[in-house]
Amino acid sequence: MQSVVIAGYARSPFHLANKGALARVRPDDLTAQVIRGLIGKTGVNPAEVEDLIVGCAFPEGEQGLNVARLIGLLADLPISVGGMTVNRFCGSSMSAIHYAMGQIAVGAGEAFICAGVESMSRVPMMGFNPMPNPELAKKSSVYMSMGETAENVASEYQISRAEQEALAVESQSRAAAAREAGKFADEIVPIETKGGTVSEDGTIRPGTTAEDLAGLKPAFDANGSVTAGTSSPLTDGASAVLVTTEDYARKNNLPILARIKAVSISGCAPETMGLGPILSSQKALARAGITAADLDVVELNEAFASQAIACVRDLGLDMAKTNIDGGAIAMGHPLGATGARIVGKAASLLKREGGKYALASQCIGGGQGIATVLEAVE
Amino acid sequence: MSDSIKKVCVIGAGTMGAGIAAQVANAGVPVVLLDIVPKDGTNRNAIAEGAVAKMLKIEPAPFMSKSAAKLVETGNIEDHLDKVAECDWVIEAVIERLDIKQGLYAKLEAVKRDGTAVSSNTSTIPLANLVEGRSEAFKRDFLITHFFNPPRYMRLLEIVTGPDTDAGVAAKVEQFADVAMGKTVVHAKDTPGFIANRIGTYWIQLGINAAFDMGLSVELADAIAGKAMGVPKTGIFGLVDLVGIDLMPHLQASLTSTLPQDDPYHAIARTMPLIEKMIADGYTGRKGKGGFYRLNKQAGRRKEAIDLATGEYHAAIKPQGPRGPAAKGDLRALAESKGDIGSYAWAVMGGTLAYAAALVPSAAADVVAIDDAMKLGYNWSAGPFEMIDKLGAKYLAERLEAEGQPVPEMLKVAGERTFYRIENGKRQFLGLDGEYHDVVRAEGVLRLADIKLASKPLLKNASAALWDVGDGVVCLEFTGKMNALDGDVMKLIVQAIPMVAAQYKALVVYTDADSFSAGANLGLALFGLNIAAWGEIEKLVAGGQMAYKGLKYAPFPVVSAPAGLAVGGGCEILLHSDAIQAHAELYTGLVECGVGLIPGWGGNGEMLDRARKANRMPRGPMPAVAKVFETVSTATVSKSAAQAKEMLFLRPEDGITMNRDRLLHDAKQKALSLVEGYTPPEPPEFKLPGPSGRTAMGMAAEGFHKRGMATDYDMVVSDALAAVLSGGDADVVDTVTEQELLKLERETFMRLVHEPRSIARVEHMLETGKPLRN
Repeated sequence: MQSVVIAGYARSPFHLANKGALARVRPDDLTAQVIRGLIGKTGVNPAEVEDLIVGCAFPEGEQGLNVARLIGLLADLPISVGGMTVNRFCGSSMSAIHYAMGQIAVGAGEAFICAGVESMSRVPMMGFNPMPNPELAKKSSVYMSMGETAENVASEYQISRAEQEALAVESQSRAAAAREAGKFADEIVPIETKGGTVSEDGTIRPGTTAEDLAGLKPAFDANGSVTAGTSSPLTDGASAVLVTTEDYARKNNLPILARIKAVSISGCAPETMGLGPILSSQKALARAGITAADLDVVELNEAFASQAIACVRDLGLDMAKTNIDGGAIAMGHPLGATGARIVGKAASLLKREGGKYALASQCIGGGQGIATVLEAVE
Repeated sequence: MSDSIKKVCVIGAGTMGAGIAAQVANAGVPVVLLDIVPKDGTNRNAIAEGAVAKMLKIEPAPFMSKSAAKLVETGNIEDHLDKVAECDWVIEAVIERLDIKQGLYAKLEAVKRDGTAVSSNTSTIPLANLVEGRSEAFKRDFLITHFFNPPRYMRLLEIVTGPDTDAGVAAKVEQFADVAMGKTVVHAKDTPGFIANRIGTYWIQLGINAAFDMGLSVELADAIAGKAMGVPKTGIFGLVDLVGIDLMPHLQASLTSTLPQDDPYHAIARTMPLIEKMIADGYTGRKGKGGFYRLNKQAGRRKEAIDLATGEYHAAIKPQGPRGPAAKGDLRALAESKGDIGSYAWAVMGGTLAYAAALVPSAAADVVAIDDAMKLGYNWSAGPFEMIDKLGAKYLAERLEAEGQPVPEMLKVAGERTFYRIENGKRQFLGLDGEYHDVVRAEGVLRLADIKLASKPLLKNASAALWDVGDGVVCLEFTGKMNALDGDVMKLIVQAIPMVAAQYKALVVYTDADSFSAGANLGLALFGLNIAAWGEIEKLVAGGQMAYKGLKYAPFPVVSAPAGLAVGGGCEILLHSDAIQAHAELYTGLVECGVGLIPGWGGNGEMLDRARKANRMPRGPMPAVAKVFETVSTATVSKSAAQAKEMLFLRPEDGITMNRDRLLHDAKQKALSLVEGYTPPEPPEFKLPGPSGRTAMGMAAEGFHKRGMATDYDMVVSDALAAVLSGGDADVVDTVTEQELLKLERETFMRLVHEPRSIARVEHMLETGKPLRN
């Protein structure tokens, strides 16, 4: 099989939905700026890009009308480059990467831009017209709110509130330290807005303490343990990676970050959707022929602290290697954009920190998990 | 000089200054709020910015909407005083120190434009002193505008002009204060304390003195000098707690130093050792550790009162206050009551009324100004002269004389007459000249009470009346308790429609009362529920639907003019009007879910129609439905007319009147403006999401339930609401007519009415006035 690599990663700053600096930026404009940034930093020839694949969890309104095509035009990609929007909720942009890899495998192109976007300010979660099937609602918990599934995981795995808060504090502190050390500078594309240029994340809360979090009310269940402080915030953001064959990358001197070694998708019970990464990661690791012990870098999306802890536990992950620069509780989770962010991040970290293997995995509403195993390229 | 006020500057961001700035912003006019630069800290605008931030948090809210807050520009007097040049009116509300005010005026004079009005919010300093040393030009632009706290809610504005004040400048300020800020202007003379505080302080001092001298409990004192006297039930001690006990020595010092030597106030001004000790110990009233009353948190928020003799707190007692006619507004009976009640009532009331009577013409030109000031500034239900009319001017004069007290000139002028009378349908007042004069309403002020004096209703029954308000417009008035709505109201509406269609041009729904309507008469409904008179209840629901739709499709324009509370059925009638002209203080909402019901008089369809036409509402079957569900299932009530607009009860083109007295006139004009070429609206047709939408709303409600914000029975009620709003079994490709929606609304309402937990909610509301969270 062709060796497929991540040959570049960029993202917008992430900001809190509704009150953050990107609330007034259209998601198509936001993503177009990120893609221009990615092209600029990688030096890829846009004319040779086969397709722009954009993951989005709620592709309607300003994210509708096959937004990928619209973003391509906004980003001034050559008219010959395709555009496809992918929806697998939170797994959307990771799926975009997997799709690109598959296309390369069948010989349907050499270079793909795989992006993701979500403006949770401008397109609400559930969309503008939520119309659940009443019959399905009766027989399945597939429509259950995400917060409730996080509570279910917490009680099934007996994860205490304090344990969740400890993870949140660590996530905030790692993110704050990484920002302080300028470690996000090379991944962030500054975004031009009506209110000026935005070049820093707005989600991170430095100095968050366990005491601060202990004072919060449960956010989803009066008797529950999950709070706003142990959940990823509603976020606006976009991300993109360049996926190419290794040959193409080398031929064009593209900055290879890592090779995609294996991928997987898996389903799980909707009411504990946060456990999705367990099976999908196990499958991907098996396909890569390695175990969790072989991993040097892990990017595990923290949709909620409870589900992240459950996954770390069951997969036997090393917290010292997991979410080194902070996770989604601190960084934010713009649904459609997270997948490309954590694959791009894991690839960059593999390069920055050294090591051989990395894993990026996340849970998906409705009960799924998705995983990508990366391998360092010599 | 510019004709109107387009921008205002308020200097001094304390409670009063900030509150005044907020009210200017509420009027939709940009305002600059300046204060001094704080001694420490790096933010030079911190004081003004802090004041705005604080106002966004406190209740009752100074701002009517968040967008109003954006009209306030903050700054400091060192860096931003030049902004005064952009303003048409500068209101000074800084500390009550003559030297500081004079210093500020000197600086203002250097930056202000000629013709820009400058007014002081002083409550104590004479105008003549304020303008000492200023130029002639400055004096022409200067006046006193004395607002009351809180400026948004207190309607009184005392205006004092000096001998040099330009009439045009004063008129410009008065016009703005009246029409834009909604204040009722009372002209006061340049005398200490002006009108309201001068009489109010005297009254408070008399009340405190008499309670101490007679050894009365504060509870009894407030029962006598409270509701029985037509005064808010806080009485005197409760009021002092509210405004701050520590304010009293300041008021006293200011008045004793400025009032003429022969003023009776000097004789009653006293300091009480207990009160001095309370202030020293931090017992300054509600803002302090407690006052004459306190809520003892250690004892489970028990209400306690202080013993004026010992200074010890005890559980507040329910005193044996005035009874019979003396408790119900018969002031003569109150003054003649036996024992402490009569003695205290006379000591407070006799003294206060005599004092007030002596202030014409020194402090106010006529009795009307004094009455207005006390009614609007102290929320008395009757002004001093209206009280004297109840007591008898002759009685008051004779009793004063018998006690060797001087009898004020005004009482002598009255003799055996009253201060007010109705002559040829016009209200008149007695002047110092001994003649009666018409009470003149300003242009644009129309009160139903005045119309009622001069005419008979066109139609009337136990719960509603119809009045001819002139120019071809009739007014539908509710008359029940809290203006509750019942079958009689609906009957009168049905009768009125052909009459108006045949003989008049338009109809206005309006009442002078504080509350437009508290909605359907729940007492009556409960009676029906208890005897299982389901047929009668269904008839009431169907009758209401029919009457309201009758108004909506009548061949003439209907304008509703609500003020105060307009909830439930009182909100639904607004929704059926062609237009709404609302008083700025409008508290409206569909609150039926709170009593276990849903809107039953067509409110669901009208709200859906408003929501789907709302600006920037996303397309598709759900957004409008979800928006209405959110508002109605939570029984949310607006805290202002501006907010009612955000909540879609008012349409963008509906009008807001700031001054309560102008509401009927404005509504009438609005109605007349719709007459030419009027055609009734077309019935709406809806595309609704059906069971899928109901499921989605159920999921949203479940989230609230899990979080403990919705009770078990809330889930049942909200599901019933969701069923109606989603169109029942309608498929998204179907068209639901207004009639179909009404039928669904009626059937669902009737289903809820049978639920014991709904009945329990209705009962609880009637008994306690609060919703039952079952």
